[in-house]
Amino acid sequence: MIHRLLIAVALALTAAAAYASTITVLVQQTALRKRPQSYSPSVGTAKLGQKFESAGLEAGFHKTSGGYIHSSAVTERKVRLGSADSVGGSASSEEVTLAGKGFNAQVEKSYGQKNAAANFAAVDAMERRSVSEAELFAFLRAGGLLEGGSK
Amino acid sequence: MKRLLVACLFAAAGCEGLQRLNVSSMTGGRLDGVDLGKVAKGVNQARKGFAEISESEEYFIGRAVSAQVLSRYKPLNDPGLNAYAQKVMQAVALASDRPATFRGYHLQVLDSAEINAFAAPGGFIFVTKGMLELVRSEDELAGVLAHEVAHVAKKHGLKTIQTSRLTSAFTIIGSEAAKNYTPQQVTQLTSAFEGAVEDVVNKLVVNGYSRDKEYEADKFGAQYVKAANYDPGALKGFLARMQKAEGSGGGGMFKTHPSPAKRETELGSVSPGPAYKRSSERGRRFSAAVQL
Repeated sequence: MIHRLLIAVALALTAAAAYASTITVLVQQTALRKRPQSYSPSVGTAKLGQKFESAGLEAGFHKTSGGYIHSSAVTERKVRLGSADSVGGSASSEEVTLAGKGFNAQVEKSYGQKNAAANFAAVDAMERRSVSEAELFAFLRAGGLLEGGSK
Repeated sequence: MKRLLVACLFAAAGCEGLQRLNVSSMTGGRLDGVDLGKVAKGVNQARKGFAEISESEEYFIGRAVSAQVLSRYKPLNDPGLNAYAQKVMQAVALASDRPATFRGYHLQVLDSAEINAFAAPGGFIFVTKGMLELVRSEDELAGVLAHEVAHVAKKHGLKTIQTSRLTSAFTIIGSEAAKNYTPQQVTQLTSAFEGAVEDVVNKLVVNGYSRDKEYEADKFGAQYVKAANYDPGALKGFLARMQKAEGSGGGGMFKTHPSPAKRETELGSVSPGPAYKRSSERGRRFSAAVQL
C-alpha cells in the first residue's frame, strides 16, 4: 500500500514538475513571442542565463509571463554560472554554461594559434551579417509568405 | 518492489526529469537500501557524448569548423546576394524545430564553381556559387538551405565527433563550471577541440554524412520549407536538375551525398501547406539577387 502511495505521489509530482518548471535561456538572445508560433511578433527578448517560470508547453513553446519562448532555446536543467573572464573574444557576454563544459574563447584562441590557416576573420564577418525581425517579416510579407501583417 | 518504484520514476520523469525531481526529499534519500541520489547522479555521469555539448560549446566548434571551411573556400564578396540568401535561410530556420542557436544562423556564399553546400554546428551555413547557378527559384533555394538548417537542427555535425574526444575533454574539465583554465588544461582542451573540429570537417568536406542523415535532412528540410509557406515540391524539381548536372561532372556534393535521384525517391510525395501562395515578387527578387 505504501509503495503504491509513493508511486502515486511520484507521478503527481512529476506531472506538476512538467507543467511548472524553471527554465534558463541557453542562447545569447531569443524572442519572447506573443503567441506560440514562429512568425508571431516578438514582445520581448530573453537573454542568456535569464530564468523564467514555465506554465507549460504549447506547440513547442514554453508559456511564460513575458511571452512564449521556444523550447530549443532553454533548458530545464540546473545551470551554473561561469566566469565572464573565461570567455572573452566574440562571446564576451557569455556567463552561463552547463556544468562540465569547456570549449570557449580561451580554447578557440589557443586553437587559432596552432592553426594559422583557419580563417576566423571571415567567420567574424559572416557573423556580423544579420537580419532584424522587422526586416525579415517585411521580406516574408512582400514574398507572400506571411499573411498581411505578422500572425 | 523497490526496483519497480525506481523504474516507475525513470519512466515517468525521464533521466532529465529525475534530476529535477527531488526523490531524496520524498523518500528520505533512501528506499530500503536503494540510494536514489546515487541513481540520479549515475544517470548524469553516464552522459558524456555529443548530447552533453552545450549550446556555447557547439557555437565554438561551429566557428572553428567554419574557419576551416573558409580557409579552403574563398568567401564571395557580394553583399546583395549574401543578404538575400541570409533572409531566405532565416525564413526557413525560423520555421524549423530549432529556430534559435547560440548566436543565430549565419550564411556565407562561397566563391566556388563546385556544386555544394555545408552546415557547421551552431548555425553556420555555406552555399557555393556553383550551387546557386543551378537553383532556379526562391522556393528551390529555400529547399537547399532548409536541408542545411536541418543538419544543424538535428545536430548531425556534433554526432560525428568521436566520443573519446568528448570524454577526454569532460575529464579535463571535471565537474567545474567554466573558468580560466591553467595553461596545461588549455593545451589538453585544445587538443580535444582540435580533434572534434577535425572530425566534423572531415565529415562535411571529405566523407559526407551517412545516407540516413542526408535523407533525414531532406525530410525535415521539406517540413521547414512547408512551414515557411514555400513549396516543398520545388526541392524535388531541384534534385531532378541536380541529377542531370551529376552526369556532367562529379565532385562537390555528388561526392558526399547520395544520388539526387535516390534522394528524390526517398523524399516521397510533398505538397505545399494551405497558406502557400505563388508570388511574382519572389521571382523578381530571386532574379535580381542571384545573377551569377
